[in-house]
Amino acid sequence: MNTSSVVQLNQQTATARRRRFSVAKTIVILFLSLLVVTQVYPLLWLVLYSLKTNEEILSGSFFALPHSFQWSNYSAALEGNYVRYLLNSLFVTSVTMAAVILLSSLCAFAISRFRWKYGQVVMLLFLVGMMIPMQATLLPLMIIFKNIHVLNTHLSLILPYVAFAMPIAVFILSGFMRSIPHEIEESAVMDGANVGRIFWSIILPVSVPPVMTVCILTFINIWNEYILAATFISSEKLKTLPFGVNSFVSQYSVNYGAIGAYLVLGALPVIIIYFLLADKITQGMVAGAVKG
Amino acid sequence: MNVLKVSRLTIAAFVLPCLIIYVGIVFVPIIVSMYSGLLDWNGIGESKFIGLENFRNLFFHDPVFWPSVRRTLMFAVFSMAEIPVALLVAILLKRYVRRPNFLVSSYFLPVILSVVVVGQLWKTIYNPASMGGMLNQVLTTIGLESWTHTWLTEPAVAMYSLYFVALWQYLGYHTLIQYTGILNVPEEIYEAARIDGAEGFTADRYITFPNIIPIFKISIVLAFIGSLQSFDMVMVMTGGGPAHATDVISTHMYNMSFLSMKYGYGSSIAAFLVVLCLAATFLINLIFSKLEKRFS
Repeated sequence: MNTSSVVQLNQQTATARRRRFSVAKTIVILFLSLLVVTQVYPLLWLVLYSLKTNEEILSGSFFALPHSFQWSNYSAALEGNYVRYLLNSLFVTSVTMAAVILLSSLCAFAISRFRWKYGQVVMLLFLVGMMIPMQATLLPLMIIFKNIHVLNTHLSLILPYVAFAMPIAVFILSGFMRSIPHEIEESAVMDGANVGRIFWSIILPVSVPPVMTVCILTFINIWNEYILAATFISSEKLKTLPFGVNSFVSQYSVNYGAIGAYLVLGALPVIIIYFLLADKITQGMVAGAVKG
Repeated sequence: MNVLKVSRLTIAAFVLPCLIIYVGIVFVPIIVSMYSGLLDWNGIGESKFIGLENFRNLFFHDPVFWPSVRRTLMFAVFSMAEIPVALLVAILLKRYVRRPNFLVSSYFLPVILSVVVVGQLWKTIYNPASMGGMLNQVLTTIGLESWTHTWLTEPAVAMYSLYFVALWQYLGYHTLIQYTGILNVPEEIYEAARIDGAEGFTADRYITFPNIIPIFKISIVLAFIGSLQSFDMVMVMTGGGPAHATDVISTHMYNMSFLSMKYGYGSSIAAFLVVLCLAATFLINLIFSKLEKRFS
């Protein structure tokens, strides 16, 4: 075999390998794109569905576009207290988030920076709490709340939301605060700063990244929470968005388009936020899972 | 070492607000619930202490209980079986896609949606074709009419329809967790392996897997605990029906307490659930600490 044929042979195997590689790549890309379809298409389908008439939905094929957009479905949906539910959710979620961040950063600060005996015990308590399923507290909380007369108020949601968001928040925040160099405090103490000031002007400002993670985790969990709201709230005017959406959808079981419209409206706030902050949200939720 | 030496009062001011709410809302109810599990009580009127009677009934005389435990565990098994798929997707993403942002954000989209939106959306998809259900329409269109079902009202398939929705919603979450884990494996290790002739899936076998075991464990714990708590989705989609065919532990607890007004009995189910969660977490940690030792 002479040199040129060896070179040729090498070239042939090289192209063959490259071709096989690109075939593999095409298959992989197809597979990954197919996953995009399965994960996103149901939502697009819902949007189409929400713009159709009942006849189109009942007779129609699943991929057909609506003949004309039935915006009336949305006005029918909006008549059903949507804005009130939205405002309730905003209120409950923002109060919860503020309380979680304030209380758990105070606690995390004490656990990670104070010299005291029981820091680890407190931490352990939070770690055990992470494994306790929220729904196991549903019945006793209902009885307790009824006895202290907070049942059917927003407080009956905010309290458990805050409490169940705390373990992961304290865990993430104290993990971060432990990594802040201690020289910072030493010099602050020498300059005469008290503990409150060290926390408020030094530790909290540098802890913005983990606070963001906690914000995202808390927001997604609380904004979407359904079962506590459905158990503790009975007044129409206090319902949060997921509960409101569910009761609307269960009541109007024949107006399909309006149901679709209401579901789209129910998903809309969180989807808008996701479009704006997709990277932050995905990173925050993964960080929350990994650190938890 | 922690430097701040502070008075007890300061410590209390920092820790107590958080701790009081936390203990009061999480631990006190659990203890109350453990005690209520020993009562014959409808939640409102007189209660009677009956010892372990509720648990005896639960374990030996309740035809719904053990099937609901089995379904809860199946839920966990299916959710955990999804994780290798997620890992595969993550590996493919890393190897073949240079700018994965669009793909990753699309996969993740269902994760951020409320269980109500997801549950009602899939209820609509599962509707009979004559009511506009997408799945049955698709099946009819591609000539598989015999495969159509009323997905949520046939006892034999209803539970699988629910498992599927959970898998659909959380695939993106697990994929992203694994993907992040893979990205954190130092690139030099792969380069060194390539020189030694390990590429592709061989490299994954010897480098990716051992390195992401901790991440894998996180996914497993999330899937397991998430499934034990699989509650909202079942409540939204079927409420445990038809005829208890989709009851899981927590829906059984809920229905017993709020529909049958057997509050004490419901509490004993809640106590069982808490013990199961703690035991499962302990077990998973044990298994993985052994695994990590073996691979390192």
